[in-house]
Amino acid sequence: MVFNSLTFVVFFALVLALHNLPLPWRTKKINLLVASWLFYAAWNPPFVLLLWISTVVDWWAARGLVAARRPASRHAWMLLSVVANLGMLAYFKYGAFLLDNFGLAMASLGVAYRPPAFDIVLPVGISFYTFATMSYTLDVYLRRAAPARSFLDYALFVTFFPHLVAGPIMRPTELVPQFETPRRASADQLCFGLALMTLGLFQKVVLADGFLAGPVEMVYDGAKPPGMLDAWAATLAFSGQIFCDFAGYSTTAIGAALCLGFALPDNFRFPYAAVGFSDFWRRWHITLSAWLRDYLYIPLGGSRHGAARTYGALMATMLLGGLWHGASWTFVVWGGLHGAYLAAERALRARFAGWRPGGPALVGLGLLTFALVNLAWVFFRAKTFAGAWSVLEGMLGGNRGAPPILPAVDLLAVAVIVGGIVAAHWLMRRRTLESAIAQVPAPVLCAVWACLMFAVAIEQGSGNAFIYFQF
Amino acid sequence: MPSSISSSERVRSEPLPGRPGLVRPTAADRPGVAQPVPERDVPSKPWPAMLAAAALVAALALGAWEARMRAVGLVPGDVGDYPSGWAEQRRRLDAGDVPVAIAGDSRILFDTDLDRFERLTGTRPVQLALVGTNARYIVEDVARAANFRGLLIVGIADTSYFRADFGYGADALARYRFESPSQRSGRWLHGWLSQALAFLDEDYRLSKLVHRLDDGWRAGADRYYAATWKLLTMRPDRAARMWSRIEQPGQLQEHARWFWLHGPQRPPASDALVADTIRRTREAVAAIRARGGEVVFLRPPSAGPLREMQERQMPRARGWEPLLREADVRGVHYQDVPAMQGLVMPEYSHLSGACATVYTDAYVRALAGLTPRLALRADAPPPLSPGDCVPRR
Repeated sequence: MVFNSLTFVVFFALVLALHNLPLPWRTKKINLLVASWLFYAAWNPPFVLLLWISTVVDWWAARGLVAARRPASRHAWMLLSVVANLGMLAYFKYGAFLLDNFGLAMASLGVAYRPPAFDIVLPVGISFYTFATMSYTLDVYLRRAAPARSFLDYALFVTFFPHLVAGPIMRPTELVPQFETPRRASADQLCFGLALMTLGLFQKVVLADGFLAGPVEMVYDGAKPPGMLDAWAATLAFSGQIFCDFAGYSTTAIGAALCLGFALPDNFRFPYAAVGFSDFWRRWHITLSAWLRDYLYIPLGGSRHGAARTYGALMATMLLGGLWHGASWTFVVWGGLHGAYLAAERALRARFAGWRPGGPALVGLGLLTFALVNLAWVFFRAKTFAGAWSVLEGMLGGNRGAPPILPAVDLLAVAVIVGGIVAAHWLMRRRTLESAIAQVPAPVLCAVWACLMFAVAIEQGSGNAFIYFQF
Repeated sequence: MPSSISSSERVRSEPLPGRPGLVRPTAADRPGVAQPVPERDVPSKPWPAMLAAAALVAALALGAWEARMRAVGLVPGDVGDYPSGWAEQRRRLDAGDVPVAIAGDSRILFDTDLDRFERLTGTRPVQLALVGTNARYIVEDVARAANFRGLLIVGIADTSYFRADFGYGADALARYRFESPSQRSGRWLHGWLSQALAFLDEDYRLSKLVHRLDDGWRAGADRYYAATWKLLTMRPDRAARMWSRIEQPGQLQEHARWFWLHGPQRPPASDALVADTIRRTREAVAAIRARGGEVVFLRPPSAGPLREMQERQMPRARGWEPLLREADVRGVHYQDVPAMQGLVMPEYSHLSGACATVYTDAYVRALAGLTPRLALRADAPPPLSPGDCVPRR
């Protein structure tokens, strides 16, 4: 089920009530585990089996590699986990993509091969929970963590519903210890958790779905080539939409976990105030970028083996990171662009090692970063390269004479919302949300909170899935 | 290697050198190590009191909003038309024992009074008509419903039936084919809340109201005005009726008329498309009959310049008549029945609520004369006439 649904409201109220009953801690954990399975099954019950397979395989793989005496055995257990998880991911997420591209490759060699129909439904959140379970075996393999002592704690780490389908992508060391001792939210934690959930739902329901999705669809899914204003407005709208959608999910997830007494890590830190791309990736989808860094970039050599190897590892990581987001070459290009940005930044930092931008230069570099991030978003959002080129052409002033597309009310909404997001990120770029809230008088916070609740209620929402569910 | 994953292994969170002000390190700041249990601080505020106050203010604002929406004309009990509602009705065909179902586009959806139908025949049809939809796809879907052996009444607008695409109905059919448990429970909860809250209306969401403020501010751009706004009210069994505000002269009625006349238009159907539509209809009808079912067609009325425009696009002699003849089905065209003349269509396309009752009365009686699948009850009420719904001058 999605957070922005009436079903979730009822589900969460029941889970919260159960969690606060005077029951043994083990019973509460079983309640949470069953609730999390129900949360997942509410999309498509049979896919719970995949979740169970992923859970059980990694549990036994970790135990196996701890018990293994020979390095080869440890290696084999680790590979079992990686192959099982990536195999599931490859089959369900990339099966059709691989077959289609194999068919194209054959055709380019003059071999007529028509791949069979591959009509497989993508299990929601499979990219997230496979990465979470893999981090468990990989951390044990890398001797960063010992296996969990209790299968219940481990299964709950994989399945805990706030993070299950769209992150933050948890590491075992972040969550398993939280299940070892009884936890119950204090009144302040419960209320602050609800405030975070309200904020997250406002971002998703009102901003992303209500005001930003429309202009994005009109331009990106429409048939007309956009002029410069429409192309930029739609792309800026998408930058706001995807932030509000995904950061909204993370904020809601963090709030839901806090209501139950658990802490999830930050997944976003005001990313549109980033100066440079290494800064951007320390602020955007932090748990994924850190995952890719720890389990892909560093094992590929990281920055320890010279410049060429570093750039190669960087590009490989970003290309695969792009592919993680979806089985399409447009996502690969998006990842490749970010890889190129990071590589260029690295080279420039080496060239101008002593330079520290200040004041206007910092803002200018921040705006340049934001503009380049937006250029990359074109490939992320467009369904085809033709669509991406059409929008890019518009952004670069190529579609002269194109008829206007977006109504003025949309242009206004994009300017206000995206302008507000970017301004807020710059104001907040060196602080946390909590530290800012601490400085606001309680009556003002009350008024803002009531407005957010009211706006979410009257926007209603239509239970649209979060964008990142498809990844 | 640590002895276990335990909370005693927390890493203290400290501002990192070179990153001043980032008071809470994240995984981004800790490469290649085990990530510690996250820390989440709660700002020092009177949170319970703030929650109570915010909830109270929001509840008061919602109360005022509900009153405003009722003043606008929204009513509790109008559950709206969603794919899940259609899917629920469609599943009734699979359960079997459905004597009458209705397929079609918005015209037969608005123009059928299920209560009147039931009073006349003792049967309450399953309503499968959908707005903005090509009824042929629904007929073809019913043809695949193995347990349906009843009477299918197909109400068509010619221009909608003789088109290639499915229209909005595609979402409903997809929902019927797969509806997740959370979608089902969501529909149930929404229906339950809608019984008490009028403001829960898709067409009166905050963003839609804001969008409608733009009355063509940017010359030549797409307009939210050029879309259908709220036209109907719907009960849980998909019994639909024209929204009372559309029946009254004013901006909403004018918008609806404007939309039908000046909104997006389809090109006239090609001869090939007409032939294909008739062929596919014939095959679907044959499949339903092969199982013991029957199919009849209705052409509900339209009015004013819309009728003239649609008759130009798809004349009766090009669409309706060959369809009945070549698909070997019987039907009732509103032009042939005196009791269907002079009915009120406030926005040219659909009947007023009162006239929908009169039209239903007329078509049920007409169909009862065409097919033994539909019979009037012995205690059926007397016939209605257009005078029963047309306001007296």
